[in-house]
Amino acid sequence: MRRALIAVGVAALLFFTAFPFAWMITTAFKPPDEIFVSPPELLPRRITLANLARLFDETRFAVYMLNSVLVAGATVLLTLALAVPGAYALTRFRFRGRESVTATILLTYMFAPIMIIIPFYVLMRALGLVNTHAGLVLAYTAFCLPFALWLLRTYFQAIPVELEEAAMTDGASRAQTVRHVLLPVALPGVVATGTFTFILAWNDYIFARVLLAADELKTLPVGIADLYNASVVDWGMIMSAGMLVLVPVLAVFVFLQRYLVAGWGSGGIKG
Amino acid sequence: MNRVAALLLACAAGVAALPAHAQKVIRVWHTETQPNSQEVMRTIGKRFEAKNPGVKVEVEGLAWGDLEGKIMASLAAGAPPELSHGQPITCTALQAKGLLLPLDDVVKALGEANIWDQVKRVCRVGGKQYGLVHAAGTSLLIYRKDLATKAGLKPPKTWADLIANAKALTTSEMAGITIPGDNLFINILLGELLKANGGIFFDKQNRPQLTAKQMIETLEFIRELTRYAPKGWEGHGYLETFTNLYGQKAAMMYQGYGRGAGLIEKSAPAAMANTDHFDVWVKPHGPSGKEPAAQVDEEPWMLFKGAKNTKEAIEFLKFFYQKENYLEYVQTVPIHLFPITKSLRADKDYQATPMIQRWKSWIEVQEGYLNKDQGKPTLVIDWDDMTSKPYLMEVLGSGILRDMVMDVALEGKPAKDAAARAQKRLEELLKSKGYLK
Amino acid sequence: MSQHASARTGWLLVLPALLLLAALTLYPVAYGIWISFFNKHSFFPEQEFIGLANYVAVFGDEQFWHSLELGAIYSVTTIVLQLTLGVGGALLLHEKMPARGLIRAISIFPYVIPTVVAVIVWKWLLNSQFGLVNYALESAGAIDRPISWMGRDWIMVSLILVSVWQFFPFVLLAVLARLQTIPEELYDAAKVDGASALLRFWHVTLPHLASVLFVVLLLRSIWMFTKFDTPWLIIQGGGAEPYIRTLPIYTYQRTFAYYEAGRGSAMAVLMFLMLVAAAALYFHLWRREERL
Repeated sequence: MRRALIAVGVAALLFFTAFPFAWMITTAFKPPDEIFVSPPELLPRRITLANLARLFDETRFAVYMLNSVLVAGATVLLTLALAVPGAYALTRFRFRGRESVTATILLTYMFAPIMIIIPFYVLMRALGLVNTHAGLVLAYTAFCLPFALWLLRTYFQAIPVELEEAAMTDGASRAQTVRHVLLPVALPGVVATGTFTFILAWNDYIFARVLLAADELKTLPVGIADLYNASVVDWGMIMSAGMLVLVPVLAVFVFLQRYLVAGWGSGGIKG
Repeated sequence: MNRVAALLLACAAGVAALPAHAQKVIRVWHTETQPNSQEVMRTIGKRFEAKNPGVKVEVEGLAWGDLEGKIMASLAAGAPPELSHGQPITCTALQAKGLLLPLDDVVKALGEANIWDQVKRVCRVGGKQYGLVHAAGTSLLIYRKDLATKAGLKPPKTWADLIANAKALTTSEMAGITIPGDNLFINILLGELLKANGGIFFDKQNRPQLTAKQMIETLEFIRELTRYAPKGWEGHGYLETFTNLYGQKAAMMYQGYGRGAGLIEKSAPAAMANTDHFDVWVKPHGPSGKEPAAQVDEEPWMLFKGAKNTKEAIEFLKFFYQKENYLEYVQTVPIHLFPITKSLRADKDYQATPMIQRWKSWIEVQEGYLNKDQGKPTLVIDWDDMTSKPYLMEVLGSGILRDMVMDVALEGKPAKDAAARAQKRLEELLKSKGYLK
Repeated sequence: MSQHASARTGWLLVLPALLLLAALTLYPVAYGIWISFFNKHSFFPEQEFIGLANYVAVFGDEQFWHSLELGAIYSVTTIVLQLTLGVGGALLLHEKMPARGLIRAISIFPYVIPTVVAVIVWKWLLNSQFGLVNYALESAGAIDRPISWMGRDWIMVSLILVSVWQFFPFVLLAVLARLQTIPEELYDAAKVDGASALLRFWHVTLPHLASVLFVVLLLRSIWMFTKFDTPWLIIQGGGAEPYIRTLPIYTYQRTFAYYEAGRGSAMAVLMFLMLVAAAALYFHLWRREERL
């Protein structure tokens, strides 16, 4: 009985989560005259690849995809490069102001992002970073850093400091200890943090919209939004764009979910 | 970790340093976001680059909602693009602040008499042309000719006629008329209707006239008309109203535009994609008005004073309007992108465009509005407004007029009350901007 | 290692992160607060100092209060639903089942895609004329006329639906991870004591989840209260905007459509203060969970 209930529950969960994607995929393969029919039909009668073809011929979708990967990837690297040492310092060292640093981090999230857009643009302009991917990476890093610091901090806190102390007593330097003792244990947490950072950078719309001007620099959210707003709303093409955004993500996720679940758990958000 | 960070920062610095060419860059922002229009704009840019070595043209197509925000951000940062599209009232507002440069050189190159008067009226201040329209189409009352003929309906001359037609065309499957409910289009609609009813938004002292008879009648007409619109019309965007039309969920469309012909050909059943099924009527006038009124969708090119390469930008615009380029541009959305030059309009290559042949009546109605001076930009009642009322942009963005229409049409409030409330809000807005004492 | 060297190394390690944050986050925030005391046109550089006038105007603006109300309805409803679905989903996925990895991955999907894709897909599903949802409801006999999901009566529901769909996996992930660390022995002991499933959940699971839920509740509250992308993208291309004009949307409009940067900033500052107050309240109520 219990098994049956669980199965029903999981099925419902999967349906709720996945059905919109399934609908998106079937629409991507429908010709235009099958899209605007009432009543709607689940499966295409004639499968067409024309929507996909149009997506790649008429738009710069491939470029947008590449840009998103580059920008999000660079953001993850930069964020981790700053957050790992930072979180380490916040948990392993005693220094004045340690606690207030943490509070400040949380506070920066409470100011609505849309309001800092204009001063941010002005700042980027002064640095000559408008309309560059570098500027966008900096923006995303700044946005992700507080959350990354907090996450990593909780992971590091859960790892007993005795492990490192033992290693250092055995003569290892602090740097060696971090590399060989701490990071391997904290890896799930680092991966989880990196993944959340990637998602935040991957999904952003407003910073990319304001900071980027050239079409060939656009990231996916902006590119797809433009396709949607274009004068002739090509649902088939838009849905194929959405579908293509999914496929790599699915692959990455099946691989990473193991780390994510472990990472959150070992992130010692314990009572 | 440190090595990676250092490498990354070095890369970032390198990338940031790259675009320091000795090239002159012209940034061009436009609002024709259809993929084919974007492609043509890029091609025109490349052709110009080929003829002008040392110049790079960066073209970007943006949706309306984003364009204003970007223009603003760029002005705030002191680095606007060289050229951008904008609403006519935006052009006026920017010119009033001294942020634009005149485009008279381009006008001369095209021939002053060659450009329709309607077009020159937009953003013309002190005898100088501060905005040059890229293409001018008017709004259209599109209707199902086959259904109307069957019901024996005549072209509506007055608002009462239109209501009657909408009622006659309404069935359980199909609404009589579809109109968009978003802010921009409600403002456009209100502007058209008020003008067609002989009213004005503001008097010469900038006092709002919303409680006047003409506006009350207009509000009540909208309430009546929307009874024949699909339920939830307030959530329909511009594109959805087209979908309603060719998806056969509505029989008429008050705010259609030329691009509808392209959409119909693409998505309606092939047998119906012609003027026997989808034709246009001239818009009716209201009880207190005499003539029809339509909105002219004519966004001007604007040249920003604070941009770097304004001379090259002027040359680019001249190049843009040359027949070879301009023809290709207007052909991307044929019935909608109406050329601003009489020469191209009369040109046989333009006339021979197949779509233009197929949808001739749609073009003729637009021309009629333009020739009779019955078309005006959004919220503009008289051409004077363009220079004497630089606050129309804020009025549009505030949504006050749209809230008023919704109060009457959706919330069932009496027109007088809704108008009085909106009047108060407008007065407060204008006072805070210093236009009203 | 001496205490001094420790402190210095500590600061050095955290300094790059802090510098970046200070430059790119604190400066814009400070500018935003600064400008809230001015009357400034968003486009143009002229500004005049008006002290607290913007704040007074905001408090007297009926639309501000209405937006606050809409925002509260939106935040509270989405958070409750996200928590319910997230916890329920986590409990389900904690069980052993075939292809568990794949199922978990799929459950997390909505969180991973850009908001614009989520909105586009749901707008199409909820299309009043051609959407699948209306068709399904009509076929099942639940409604006899199509629901206009983007119209005045239902657009808030649509917004909540999309937001819950998109963000409940965040909760699911956090809770699921925590569930995996609860030792089996505790459940075994409870079963031995004769506790039912419900009691086991209440006495074993829930206490362990308390700290995760605390964090999740805090973060989701901040993010749903200041959420801009989702309602904004729903409004694009048609959607009865006045009925989902939450505070972030109205703030954006004041800045980018009324062109009143000062007023907009004042509203942002007020939102900020509200969140700070709420967060302080949270921390006070859950003081024992403080060592996060």
